[in-house]
Amino acid sequence: MKSVDLTRTPQWRQLFESLPVIQRFFAGDPDSHGMNRLLHNVAIYLERMVDSLDRGAPFVWYNLGFNSELVYALGDAFPLTIESLGVLHNLLGNTHVSLDFIDTAEASGVPSDCCSADKLAVGAIRKGLYPEPACCVGINTPCDAQVMGTQVMAELSGKPFFLIDVPYYHNEETIRHVAAQLKELVPFLEEHTGRRLDYDRLKEVCELSNTMTETIWEWLEWRRHVPLAQSSKLVAFTLVLQILFTGSEQGIDIAQGLLREARERTQRGERFFEERVRAVWYQDPVWTDLQIYDWFERELGLTVPIDVFGYYAHEGLIDTSTPESMLYGLARKLVNCHPMARQFRGSIDVYIRDFMHLHETWKADCGIFAGHIACKHAWGGIGLFKEACRKAGIPLLIFEFDMFDPRVTPYEDVYFEIERFVNEVVYPRKMRG
Amino acid sequence: MREIFSDIEELTRTHTNTHVEAWKASGRPIIGYLCQYVPREIIIAAGALPLRLRGAGSPDSSLGDAYLSGRTCTYVRHVMSLSLDGRYDFLDGEIGLNTCDHVRRAADVFVKKTSIPFHGFLSVPRSPREGLYGYYRQELEKLVRGLEAHLGVRIDSDALRRAVKIMNEVRSRLTEINRLRLLERPALSGAESLAVHIASQVVPPEVFVAIADRLIEQLARGEGLDSPRGRLVLVGAELDEPSFVEALESQGALVVADRLCFGSRSVLPPIDETAEDPLDAVGRAYFFQPSCARMIGDFPVRWQALKGMVAESRADGVVFERLVFCDPWGAEVHNIMERSRKEQAFPVLVLSREYGIVPTGQLKTRVQAFVEKLEIARARRLAAGQ
Repeated sequence: MKSVDLTRTPQWRQLFESLPVIQRFFAGDPDSHGMNRLLHNVAIYLERMVDSLDRGAPFVWYNLGFNSELVYALGDAFPLTIESLGVLHNLLGNTHVSLDFIDTAEASGVPSDCCSADKLAVGAIRKGLYPEPACCVGINTPCDAQVMGTQVMAELSGKPFFLIDVPYYHNEETIRHVAAQLKELVPFLEEHTGRRLDYDRLKEVCELSNTMTETIWEWLEWRRHVPLAQSSKLVAFTLVLQILFTGSEQGIDIAQGLLREARERTQRGERFFEERVRAVWYQDPVWTDLQIYDWFERELGLTVPIDVFGYYAHEGLIDTSTPESMLYGLARKLVNCHPMARQFRGSIDVYIRDFMHLHETWKADCGIFAGHIACKHAWGGIGLFKEACRKAGIPLLIFEFDMFDPRVTPYEDVYFEIERFVNEVVYPRKMRG
Repeated sequence: MREIFSDIEELTRTHTNTHVEAWKASGRPIIGYLCQYVPREIIIAAGALPLRLRGAGSPDSSLGDAYLSGRTCTYVRHVMSLSLDGRYDFLDGEIGLNTCDHVRRAADVFVKKTSIPFHGFLSVPRSPREGLYGYYRQELEKLVRGLEAHLGVRIDSDALRRAVKIMNEVRSRLTEINRLRLLERPALSGAESLAVHIASQVVPPEVFVAIADRLIEQLARGEGLDSPRGRLVLVGAELDEPSFVEALESQGALVVADRLCFGSRSVLPPIDETAEDPLDAVGRAYFFQPSCARMIGDFPVRWQALKGMVAESRADGVVFERLVFCDPWGAEVHNIMERSRKEQAFPVLVLSREYGIVPTGQLKTRVQAFVEKLEIARARRLAAGQ
């Protein structure tokens, strides 16, 4: 495939055409550094992809539980997350493209109760929209849906495949187990991409990754401020940063944009609406309609200072002193910090403990369990999660929806559920003290 | 022969049976487990009865729903309903796994909401490659230590070898029964075979061997069954309801081979009874067994095995059953359909299923249509002289 073949497809053409439109829209708010830097760097990422295609650089496909550092450290290999095209269309409002991917996946045998994120991947792969990979990397986090996505990726690509197995436990042994597999992954990547992983370059990549991580932590600190000064809809982008940009200059640029915006808005004491209620949004963001968060803020005074996609745990930075310490640090990032992988893969205790931590640290009044219908790992813990919230006296809203497919639960129903919860449960309760 | 099948049906009708009750009454421990990646030999070597946990006899899944929601698979929800209702309180322990999200969450509820006194856990790697076996082996060692401490026993190499020996006996009987299904006139139906396989997982192995010997003797003397409308291979995950298979077969085709967790996937090849390190022999046999769909990257191996099974059993088509909400087997559906289309390998019928629901007219209609399709294809092949 050459870039001209790729950009000729309606799905890529539409993405390239709609991105500048959205960029211009957000550029209308010069303070919107976070969104502006994200869109700017997505454009750079896509340009690099096109350039890599023309240069014949190798592509490495992987699923959303993996991070990009090792691929960046190969030099000119290009990291491609298989969900990315569908997700980008969804985020940019081109829902009809992502729904087409979902329908394509279902028509080819993926059951309707499986995750739409994976259907986005399967649909795009089946339509032949991604540059052919040199090899694929799969990881079994954060959930069974990734088991599905990776198996189909391996089958449809027909390319050499390497699995990173992440065990159930949250302990040192798990990190060492994953680090050992990353060590095995290096020669696999070298063999199939034909590029050598230079540990000096990996050190640079890990330093970039550390800078991005520190910037994210600082950004999230600013979002603890009451009232929240930065838009709720931005918080979930930590996940995008880790999947596509970690270990790159672009990742730092986006993180710095998010930080700058949060800091400057907070320092100026700007308030565009009255914050009445703060929620921890636990489970998946509404990426099929990001403007819903603006509506929550404007109409209900509801803010989301933190969510499960946004939270990046303080579990240490990558020690860049030796190749082994870097692989260990990358493994720790994957299993203990990567949004969702941290909370979803093991016992429900970690999931609940993190929620309580977010609730307290980000000074929330309630929890909103936005139950993406395919998140069986989370739905499977709902009884224990409800009990924990009840015991802690935290109001909790639970509703079903699909983060990429608005046909499952119409927007109106989501609005209704949240409006009722905020106005009839949380706010009156807060006022009563 | 009917009498033996009636006895077997009685053993598998609910989550327990007279042999389990007698075992318990004799003061010996019983350990429940949920998945084929738990080596029964370890439990047997600890002097306990391994009991595969089932939802059989569960009237509804409401208690399970309360903790696991309505978006996890109904097999796990029914098992949890029975457990939360105290019906598994006779267990001396249970062993959870990270088989899938559903089983993993069931493990949480077992720990926090039941009075079962011991909870083992196995984190089974997601790919059956040599480099990951060491982790599984360590998990087994941890399980051994946990059972030893809980039951106050020592699981030594001799005990493990004895357990391997008796389980090999079980496996040899099941292998023979599966061979008898492959005959031109299969000796037993798919539903009967599934019931036999389930029985092998819910009674003491010695008891099963005695039952199986009687059954094999009678099957060998029988005339075999007609399968007027074709032969099927049945593939899928947690199916422990022979009535479902009965419904398929009521349309005139016989299930002559299967790859089901409760069915022939539970039958491993014989394990070395004299191995110097019997835990390693057991661990390798279980870790590298014909894999479950949870094992990532192993689909090409599973596909070849399925093709081999279809060829060996001279099957006309494959029925794939999947519990709603199961992701690992969701990927398998896609990949099997993809390969069978690409290679024009064999016709496939995909059926979604809920645990504990008596097969409906809709299901029978779909199977009937599939069987007709197979008949037409066969007639065309014959006409073409193939």
